Amino acid sequence: MQPRRFIFWTLAPAFGLLAALALISIAGALYFSVMDRSLRYPDYDFVGLYNFERLFGDRRFLNALKISALWEIITVAGSLLVAVLLSVFLFENTRSATARNLICLAFLAPVLLPRVAAAFIWRFLYSPTLGLINYVCELVGLGQVEFLASPSLALFSVAAVDIWQWGLFFTVILLKLLETLPKEPIEAAQLDNARTWEIHAYVTLPMLRAPIISLALVKAVESLRSFDLIFVMTGGGPGTATETLDLYAYQMGINLGGRVSYASAMSILLLLITIVIFTLVWRGIRKWAA
Amino acid sequence: MANIKCTNIRKSYGSVTVIEDLNLDIPDHEFVVFLGPSGCGKSTMLRMIAGLEEISGGTVEIGERDVTRLPPGARGVAMVFQSYALYPHMSVYDNIAFGLRRQKVAETEIAARVKQVSGLLGLEQLLERKPRNLSGGQQQRVAMARAMIKTPKLFLFDEPLSNLDAKLREKLRTEIRRIHLDLKTTTIFVTHDQLEAMTIADRIVLMKAGAIEQQGTPSEIFDRPATRFVADFIGSPAMNFRDCTVANRGEVVELSSGSLHLEVPAADFEPLADGTIVEVGLRPSKMDVAGDGAHNAITGRVVLVENMGSEGQVVVDVDGRDMSLVTKAFRSLSSGSPVTFAIDADSIHLFSKRTGRSLRKAA
Ligand SMILES: Nc1ncnc2c1ncn2[C@@H]1O[C@H](COP(=O)(O)OP(=O)(O)O)[C@@H](O)[C@H]1O
Ligand SMILES: [Mg+2]
Repeated sequence: MQPRRFIFWTLAPAFGLLAALALISIAGALYFSVMDRSLRYPDYDFVGLYNFERLFGDRRFLNALKISALWEIITVAGSLLVAVLLSVFLFENTRSATARNLICLAFLAPVLLPRVAAAFIWRFLYSPTLGLINYVCELVGLGQVEFLASPSLALFSVAAVDIWQWGLFFTVILLKLLETLPKEPIEAAQLDNARTWEIHAYVTLPMLRAPIISLALVKAVESLRSFDLIFVMTGGGPGTATETLDLYAYQMGINLGGRVSYASAMSILLLLITIVIFTLVWRGIRKWAA
Repeated sequence: MANIKCTNIRKSYGSVTVIEDLNLDIPDHEFVVFLGPSGCGKSTMLRMIAGLEEISGGTVEIGERDVTRLPPGARGVAMVFQSYALYPHMSVYDNIAFGLRRQKVAETEIAARVKQVSGLLGLEQLLERKPRNLSGGQQQRVAMARAMIKTPKLFLFDEPLSNLDAKLREKLRTEIRRIHLDLKTTTIFVTHDQLEAMTIADRIVLMKAGAIEQQGTPSEIFDRPATRFVADFIGSPAMNFRDCTVANRGEVVELSSGSLHLEVPAADFEPLADGTIVEVGLRPSKMDVAGDGAHNAITGRVVLVENMGSEGQVVVDVDGRDMSLVTKAFRSLSSGSPVTFAIDADSIHLFSKRTGRSLRKAA
């Protein structure tokens, strides 16, 4: 057999299966989104775009949209910021290879934890009465802080866990990337009288622009799938302060309302928004990086 | 501009000592070339002067100021790297302006100075381009512009021409030389190419295994090599070496090996006992075809003739071993024919078998 054909036929089954699974679930969601299926009643009917119309008048949905957007921005920007600062710090301040490797190993550990496990660990750490963090807060005189129960803090507290997992992971990646850069431009910048932060701001990080953009995109996709983390830590609360779109869809479709069609409409809308925004962002980045 | 003074420089990586107790003085305005085989410590030395490499022991002074502990940016030096080391994401203009911007020089002045140096190096048309859209020679010119614009006290070049093709190498070599004549900035230029060193240097510092083997003007190094290593390293084709036995004949010393009999004035050399074996060095370019009766004549059979244009390299079989000479009269020679050639006694070098040092008395 020709190599091309061989590649085609060996990959085809797996791709076919993946495509079928993705398409079937999307088709199913599309089908339900134009019905009035609810778990309360056995029968259902075609209602056209009624579910979508209702969504745009649903303040809880609009809130979820806002929380989702905030969540994306905070976790993507936070992870990258932490990664950039920490990797530059380690690059400049750890000389021995063993020390660096040990730190990298430690930084890889959080992302290897299952999200649910990470969520439970941090829920415990954040706990007002038992938690280590509140113990420290009391020591420094901040008093008891309601990390997960305060509406203004909860989203950031959960995002901190996400950044703890992914920011540290990206730190390791960026540190390794910094190590692969040629030494000469850095030395040339030293001779050009650039201070350490200037060397990184003007020389090394711009040289790593393409991989950093890739990391941002990976993280943006990953952040869309933070249901488990948020669900375990706050369940969307307090109130709806941490209720992202996927949490709201879950509450509507499965947990509380059993309004399958309404939740399906929501997920279809989420799919559309994601596709549109990612396409725009991708285009913008390509133009900017060129 | 400044003179450079290196005192008792030592450099070790862990337990491995790469440079041991090196002393070097470079007067103001001089163009010095560090020459030596790969791995002898030329780059290490240069990088210690630049401040890019920590100095394990000793001091470096630039213009009477001890800079041993100063960071690279504070030493007033500029360096051109073999790999160009341009900032890949910046335009040529930004590359050249980078150093001045770090010193908070006003943009209008930067623009004027970029215009001036880019004019000097023929870069005016390229200022908006990115380095990846430039040829190797253009990239190296940008690197030189970036170094020049800072008006440093000291220029450092680490094999800047090694990545370029032969023609461009020659052209840029001349340009570097001309710029030096213009600016008169003290310059250290590292290369492993002896021809490059000979053509560009005011003074050559020839290094071997982390120590200075000999320093002097190109003609001193070429005509009066202090050791066999220097004699062998400099010159192309390489010097011919033969082990010869010494016989004192009053005013002259006779050196013989097989059919080879040479005479040199005894006064020019350290006293040698009869029967001593010394290594005799004969530079190919100092020998020429001669008549049978010529003084210090050598006869052999032509093995091959290489046409190099105006001159030819002739390889001659003398007592079963090859000996090269370079002559303009190569066209009359062909393989297999016998040939007689001679060398001026002043160009015969004697080296001690034991130490490798030249046995010629200092002038
Ligand atoms: N970072 C390093 N660690 C250990 N040895 C090194 C290091 N850098 C250079 N050396 C050694 O120092 C010697 C001199 O190197 P270098 O100055 O680069 O030589 P040159 O420039 O003359 O070719 C070499 O033997 C090289 O192996
Ligand atoms: Mg080198």
